[in-house]
Amino acid sequence: MTVVSFYYLFFLAIGVLIYYAVPKKVQWIILLLLSLIFYVSAATPYTIVFLIASTIIAYTSTIYIYRHKDAEIYAKTVSIVAIVSVLINILMWFLLKGSAFWILGSILINKVIPGVPVLRALPVVSALGMGYYTAQIIGYILDVLWGNADAQKNPIKLFLFLCFFPQLTVGPVSRYNDLLVLYDYHKFSYQNICIGAQRILWGFFKKLVISDRVAIIVNSIWNDTTTYGGVWPWIAVFLYPLEIYTDFSGCMDVVLGTSELFDIHLSENFRNPFFSRNSQEFWQRWHITLGSWARDYVYYPVMKSRWMVNFGKKCKKKYGKRWGKFIPWSLSMAILWFVMGVWHGSVHHIFGVSLWFWLALVISELFEPITKKITCVLRIKTESFGWHFYQSGRTYAVYALGAVFFTSSSLQIALAHYRVLGSSLSQLNPWTLFDGTVLNLGVSWKDINLIIFGCVCLILADYLRERYDYARIWVRNQSFGFRWLIWIGIFLVVLIYGMYGPEYNSSTFIYQGF
Amino acid sequence: MMSREAVYERLNGVFREVFDDDTIVVNDSTTADDIEDWDSFEHINLIVAIEEEFGFKIPMGKTVTMKNVGEMVDIILQMGE
Repeated sequence: MTVVSFYYLFFLAIGVLIYYAVPKKVQWIILLLLSLIFYVSAATPYTIVFLIASTIIAYTSTIYIYRHKDAEIYAKTVSIVAIVSVLINILMWFLLKGSAFWILGSILINKVIPGVPVLRALPVVSALGMGYYTAQIIGYILDVLWGNADAQKNPIKLFLFLCFFPQLTVGPVSRYNDLLVLYDYHKFSYQNICIGAQRILWGFFKKLVISDRVAIIVNSIWNDTTTYGGVWPWIAVFLYPLEIYTDFSGCMDVVLGTSELFDIHLSENFRNPFFSRNSQEFWQRWHITLGSWARDYVYYPVMKSRWMVNFGKKCKKKYGKRWGKFIPWSLSMAILWFVMGVWHGSVHHIFGVSLWFWLALVISELFEPITKKITCVLRIKTESFGWHFYQSGRTYAVYALGAVFFTSSSLQIALAHYRVLGSSLSQLNPWTLFDGTVLNLGVSWKDINLIIFGCVCLILADYLRERYDYARIWVRNQSFGFRWLIWIGIFLVVLIYGMYGPEYNSSTFIYQGF
Repeated sequence: MMSREAVYERLNGVFREVFDDDTIVVNDSTTADDIEDWDSFEHINLIVAIEEEFGFKIPMGKTVTMKNVGEMVDIILQMGE
């Protein structure tokens, strides 16, 4: 069962009915049961032992930490307990999701010491949401250690924090304090059902009307670059951000809408990333919960460590104030991006995606004083629409080019794609955009029109989001007739023009694998 | 024990040094929104500079949760006791 499927909606309807019908003190148990049913139907069932193990380790360690963290004689033991339980969680993740690393490791060792056997990957299993809940549990252990959260005294409640079903597919990476509402009493409210259902519908629209259509074009081009040369690989590159954005944020809409039905409001993962003026801002608007997790639990501790502070001082002494700040920052960012690459579970993610985006951030920071000077000398109105448009376009291009690594299954394939992009520049054929070539890519004019229509709706919704915080707040303030016209319109478009697979299920989500 | 005013005097110096702006004057309600360059990444440079100035470590938990300069001063006074 995926979150964009007929079964899921049926499952939700029954779940919501039971949730509000039972006594309020057992509502969290209903959430737990629903989560278990969802897990068993969406993942390889036995992998739930990893979730249970994660819970037991976190539960025992945090209870110990919580009881002893204020006593000075236990200070060292408490830190050791925290580090060990974080490491065990990471190791479990490595076992199931990090096979690329230990296989590579064993190959390298085998080259040095020939007798050592090369390891093979375990049989493919779906440990749904493992990347997300491992990040959550690490955050929880550190929050208890740092005094930002109280230890949960009921292990089954802690288990619910990890396995709450809406966030198992693609996150968000929630903080424990933000999810204490899971255990509260929740009253039925028509408004929650409305906003939840609307958000799910909007997510379906993004995924089924836009993303799955764009995916056909992008995949067809990359699958046959000899036929589709010239401008076409570039079209694929610049369409991919649209595909992944509507896929990932569409799924997030379904996830957030689902939890709103249960009166639980999860953290937002996207805030109009393509309105960003530079890469730094982009990463504060894209996959926000993972970014802020990495900032709080990786970047801050690294920057605050004695080693980094001393290193910063040395750099300042030797190279002056600016470089004294820049060098430790870029080093800490490299560590952050390395962790992000590892979390995505592949070697090419570290040496492709992470390296690319780290370089983009470093270069943009490096040239900031120069660009500031140039805009000042040329008297460019930096707040004008034109300048903002140029900056957002540039940020989009940096993301689109880096995402080639993301779409490719290995470093070699990514480099081959870049070679195709380079060589196609000498044989540009823009006239093929209008001669019907596009119809050989597996889409019809109807599909192209629907993509354009979807994009117009998307830009409008994102603009309203930027202006009114949520597009739906703007819709809510419209007259009754217009309001319903909008929602019924979206519903009909999804129903008639959604790209459905067998039994009204969508294809899987790009970020579901993590 | 340091007075709140004395903490502010030293704190203004730290802010001016970190954000390269000699006109900065902070008060209890100053937040990251009031100072242009104070984003979540620059925040840690500020914390490290405060630790350097006052000579003690600010706990990780407090680093993440402080909401405004008022809370920052409370922490400094508490740590300095």
